[in-house]
Amino acid sequence: MPDKVLVAMSGGVDSSVALLKIVEMGYDAIGVTMKLWEYHDVGGNLLDDSNCCSVGAINNAKLVCDRLNVPHYTLDFTDVFQKSVVDNFADEYLAGRTPNPCVRCNSLVKWDAFVQQADKLGAAYIATGHYAKVQHLKGSSVLKKGRDTLKDQAYVLWGIPAHTLSRTLFPLGDLTKEEVREIARKNKFETAEIPESMEICFVADNNYKRFLKEYIPEKMSEIGAGEIVDESGEVVGEHSGYTDYTIGQRKGLGLSTPEPRYVSNIDPSNNQIRIGKKESLTKDNCEVSGVNWLVDNMSFPCDIQAQIRYNSPVIDATITQKDHQFSVEFAQPQIAVTPGQSIVFYKNDIVLGGGIIEKNY
Amino acid sequence: MSIKRIYCDISATTPLDPRIGELLTDLNEHIYGNPSSIHREGQAAKAVVEKSRRQIANAINAQPDEIIFTSSGSESNNMVLKGVLRSGDHFITSSYEHPAILKVLPFLESQNIETTLVKPDKNGMVQPADIEANIQENTRLISIMWVNNELGTINPIFEIGSIAKEKNVLFHSDAVQAFGKIEINTEEIPVDYLSMSAHKLYGPKGIGALYKRGGTKLDPLIHGGGQESNLRASTENVGGIGGFGMAAELSTTNLEENTEHILRLETYFLNLLNEQNIPYSINGKKRIPGVFNITFHGVIGQDLVLQLDFLGIGISFGSACASGTVKASEMLVEMGLTKEDALSTVRISFGKIHQLDDVKKVAESIGEILKINVEEFANHAG
Repeated sequence: MPDKVLVAMSGGVDSSVALLKIVEMGYDAIGVTMKLWEYHDVGGNLLDDSNCCSVGAINNAKLVCDRLNVPHYTLDFTDVFQKSVVDNFADEYLAGRTPNPCVRCNSLVKWDAFVQQADKLGAAYIATGHYAKVQHLKGSSVLKKGRDTLKDQAYVLWGIPAHTLSRTLFPLGDLTKEEVREIARKNKFETAEIPESMEICFVADNNYKRFLKEYIPEKMSEIGAGEIVDESGEVVGEHSGYTDYTIGQRKGLGLSTPEPRYVSNIDPSNNQIRIGKKESLTKDNCEVSGVNWLVDNMSFPCDIQAQIRYNSPVIDATITQKDHQFSVEFAQPQIAVTPGQSIVFYKNDIVLGGGIIEKNY
Repeated sequence: MSIKRIYCDISATTPLDPRIGELLTDLNEHIYGNPSSIHREGQAAKAVVEKSRRQIANAINAQPDEIIFTSSGSESNNMVLKGVLRSGDHFITSSYEHPAILKVLPFLESQNIETTLVKPDKNGMVQPADIEANIQENTRLISIMWVNNELGTINPIFEIGSIAKEKNVLFHSDAVQAFGKIEINTEEIPVDYLSMSAHKLYGPKGIGALYKRGGTKLDPLIHGGGQESNLRASTENVGGIGGFGMAAELSTTNLEENTEHILRLETYFLNLLNEQNIPYSINGKKRIPGVFNITFHGVIGQDLVLQLDFLGIGISFGSACASGTVKASEMLVEMGLTKEDALSTVRISFGKIHQLDDVKKVAESIGEILKINVEEFANHAG
């Protein structure tokens, strides 16, 4: 009997082709759409097919599965998603930080709840349509960047529990997005032309300010206008509330300065935004929390490459460890080292692990 | 590789009785006229509709002109609520009705219609005394389902209807889960409106009916042509109506025989569970034959449903949502089950299509799955 594989089906083109590949590899595939949230909880357009968790997306997933004669189930993960991802998303903004909900979803929902589900259904593996690779070696499995450098999603996978790597398949790791679309077209998948969704799935209109206002109305109503101060602490303007800003932001400050100014610090306790020139944004170091290692036998200090934003270039850096606290020193100063965002560590194309940027200096 | 499927979700819908399938093929091929047309083609179609109306009327001991064809049980429910209640009226229904009742309530509220929800008791039945206690001066309509879809429990419809009659309140019952499974006699039971649907009794999907006692008032939901005595416009679904008539006749003529057969399956199923020492409890008392709302302690209902599906057996869990996800039934918690037990509860429904062998396969498969799950549970705990 072939191994069972639980394939996460978002209803998009990537997961459709991932399923096809799993079927072609001879596995016994089971398509599962993880229902993560309800539109009436988060706002947005229920009938927009391009968003996962919409009725249209779920129906698309079902059609593709049916085409491949694969059973499809929509399973409810709304409770764990809300607790682990959505609540945290709101809390992070309230704390003046810029969260990365996709990372938390992968770490806590897709590679925790979903693997548990696989266990319960007797599935040996889970598979997703991420552009990344897992190399299964004797006794260990290694996460690597995908072949398509533009689409590579290894950055959002640093937090998955290391022991689940051996249970993970990424059928798209050696394909480019264009190749994936071509395969979908050839197979006449209903999902072949569905546009890329770049926004956060539960903020379908890409308006996180609207989302926060609706999701935590009381807390948001307490945050009013506040001061914008410059590097010397002098008040130079007024802002609409600190949650509206992220580190490195230039637009929407309502200031007319001869040289561009950027948000360099967010102080939630005083509802204060500090701005500065571009130089004030560059930092040499950061402290990292919640570190997750995907490889064994790391020793410190360690020279690695780091990535501090999705799709930003990797940079040489050194990790040091002191009393369980990890710090990273960049080879060159970096702009917008943003608390709340993920920092991911690589050795060439191998993902070593990652963590959350806590402080910069 | 395909395995023989054993479909045990009779409460959700039924496969077509092969005899009805043949009839539908025949009607689709030969009867294409519009029943309102004057020519022979129209006449032939009209005959199908009127024959079916008589078959359905006979099945519930009613008059043919008391039967109105609709598209579904949901439409019939909507038609009664929206066609009877008016601004300022009070309405009584139960908290475990089908969504085709409960989801109408916000609309009714917007029309200045007040609703009282009566809860079922721990046995899954609505108590007539609870209905009586909530009747007000402006109570216009009471709607209580004959048989609950999740539990299969039979409500005391005679008693509730009698109270309604005595208090001069109109009484509707959603009989979708009852029709064709237990006797319905409108001569004996004081009910003003009944909702019915063909696809629960081996008939086609997309065809329903409403019984409306002669003389009671009702406004149409769909206005247009004069079909169905001006109560439901649109060209009749002639094939569906023909199939519904045959389904009604078959299920009532063979009611006793079917019931006996299904009760035999039921006893056999429970014996097999007991023989395997499977711990279970059945929720709800006084059920229609073959429908089990059943808690298997120590397993998540959703997982059991999926694992049985892998083995070729279709059962259901909780209540379905638009997206196709299911959540544990809140109704069960209201009835007094713990949240864990509600999560461990599934619905298995057997019908006339099943044989003892099918039931045996289901019971044994459940036994196997539970054994694996319990072992895994012990491993994790250990």
